[in-house]
Amino acid sequence: MYKGAQIITEPVGKEGDLMILNWGVQHPASGPMRIKVWLDGETIVKVENDPGYVTRNLEKLLEYRTWESAIVNVERICFIDDLGTLLNWALAVEKLAEIEVPKKVQYFRVILAEVGRIVSHLIGIGSMFGALGVATPMMWVLAIREYYLDFLEHYSGYRISTASIVPGGLKAEPTKEDFELLKKAIEETKKRWPEYKEVFKDNPTLVERYKGVGVIPKDLVFELGLRGPVARASGVDYDVRTRYPYSSYEDFDFNVIVKEEGDAYARFLVVLEEIEESVKIIEQALEGMPTEGKWKVRVPKKIKAGEAYSAVEWSRGSMDYHVISDGGTGPYRVKISAPSFMNIWALERIAPGHKLADLATIFASLYICHGDLDR
Amino acid sequence: MDWGEILFRTLVFPGVSFLLLVIFATFYLERKLVADMHGRTGPYYVGPYGILQTVADIFKILQKEVIIHREADKVLFLVVPAFAFLMVSLVAAFIPYDKDLWIVSTPYDLIISLALLTSLPAIFLFAGWVSKSKYPFIGGIRVINQLISGEIPLWLAGLSVALWYGTFNYVEIVEKFDIIGFLVNLIGFAIFLVAILIVADRPPFDIPEAEQEIVYGFLTEYTGLGYLLLAGAKFLEVFVLAAMTVTLFLGGFKGPFLPGWAWFFIKLFFVYYLAFAIRASTPRIRLDQLIKLTWKVLVPLALLNIVLIILLKGF
Repeated sequence: MYKGAQIITEPVGKEGDLMILNWGVQHPASGPMRIKVWLDGETIVKVENDPGYVTRNLEKLLEYRTWESAIVNVERICFIDDLGTLLNWALAVEKLAEIEVPKKVQYFRVILAEVGRIVSHLIGIGSMFGALGVATPMMWVLAIREYYLDFLEHYSGYRISTASIVPGGLKAEPTKEDFELLKKAIEETKKRWPEYKEVFKDNPTLVERYKGVGVIPKDLVFELGLRGPVARASGVDYDVRTRYPYSSYEDFDFNVIVKEEGDAYARFLVVLEEIEESVKIIEQALEGMPTEGKWKVRVPKKIKAGEAYSAVEWSRGSMDYHVISDGGTGPYRVKISAPSFMNIWALERIAPGHKLADLATIFASLYICHGDLDR
Repeated sequence: MDWGEILFRTLVFPGVSFLLLVIFATFYLERKLVADMHGRTGPYYVGPYGILQTVADIFKILQKEVIIHREADKVLFLVVPAFAFLMVSLVAAFIPYDKDLWIVSTPYDLIISLALLTSLPAIFLFAGWVSKSKYPFIGGIRVINQLISGEIPLWLAGLSVALWYGTFNYVEIVEKFDIIGFLVNLIGFAIFLVAILIVADRPPFDIPEAEQEIVYGFLTEYTGLGYLLLAGAKFLEVFVLAAMTVTLFLGGFKGPFLPGWAWFFIKLFFVYYLAFAIRASTPRIRLDQLIKLTWKVLVPLALLNIVLIILLKGF
């Protein structure tokens, strides 16, 4: 029988004078994870991450799926940008089955992956402002995001968790209306973005709060294996799309945004500017889309035993799958290495010495998705 | 004034009932205007133009169970919100809505108002302290830090007006208001506007209740009526500070054609609109940045402003 919690009678504060604050699990800015913060007044002395509150054991669940039905689990790694994770699954399975998909499919997959990146980055920008208690940018970017979601909804039937990329091709053929909706979304972005970008980038209070805060030196990137915008903001020119091109990324002309400062503002700028590059890629893909070929090629029900490793540049960084097949109808074992889980450990190293108020901004600038943090 | 009129003014207008209406109205106005700046619609479905949404929300809050933390001081925990509400309501008694539309008018209106407002941070610190919880405690400490820095520019800018017009009485200040007085007090007006945002914890200075940092500051542990009283006290604080701005710097009820109270509320709306626009556009700053701003910019500027006004008054 529950007798109620024990009342602590001995004085709390065994760790000297420091106040221990549970920043999460139920905290407006933490998301479903706990960050244990040791505070000296307002100054952070020590930080400890405690993720794991939304673990779904996706890797284990994947073992009970077939090659195609696994997409349902794979896309739930992170709902904000599910298209990158789906693309990676398709690539891994195709590598395992030694299948080459038509150029047309590859181009459309690039479009989908970049739409996912734009959608995710827009929310990222909004939540980086959200950490400073102003909701206007979030509302504005959500208005743009809506056009992309309309496209996804019309194409796949779902706004998020689209299940649109399957091993061997695409779940559905894109129609003429889909392309029109996408073009409208691109147009709308190009119309609104210059003004928004100016407002976001030159916001004096944001610069005041983000500049020089949470500096990640270049060495730390290599030591902890940080990825994606976080690594690129610290001067590490690493992007899977250009290093190890997949799905015809070598056909497109785009810049990898790299900043040298390594502070929260640099991370903000990387995310901000990557949206434009994604728009550029989508435009090129729409223009150069081949017409010949099928939208889906056949993938065998059983794939011969073997191993495959595949990586894509997901919106939050490099997303890696290691898939093992034992010749069955589904994967024998899948190992997922996701960027947020790598990036979160930078918090423990860079947060101490900052004020409590900076914890929210540093955490937002690390661009974490709790879905792929726990999986 | 006979007793009947005093009673009417205290209980109906511009007294208790009116102040409750102010809470409803400003809550609705804030939601609607900020939603407009966000590109949203805001409250829409409950009542015409969604005006009853606020009523529904407030009655929902009233139905909530009052939860008191095990370690908290139960009596103080329940009493503190009422005190906050009372203190800030008292300030509203001095505001002249029209030439003879006020509850109290003394030769020391301004001084009493500022003194009553200065008591609020102590009450908020107490609210955080008796909660016996970490986030409210940090919030309470932040209130003190912020308000010590914010009240001094507020006092200095407010007193510079009294210096120019030679009186502390609100009605007399408004009567003496003219375009020269407005121009002379322009610097003071700017300082006062920033200071009321700091004192009332309005964004971008909402540091004591910064949601992303310390949940809800000293309000974190409060539910039900206690929360409503504290939140209402904060709404009223904004109201009285905005009303003071209108009275001191914008000529209060003075204006052509329309009746005095109409002018008062038009001017009040502009001050509110400014506060909402700032809320929708400016991210929150950090506590150390705020203290730097107040002590290195606002306080010296306010002192210079006083010197300027003394010199101008001399000529």
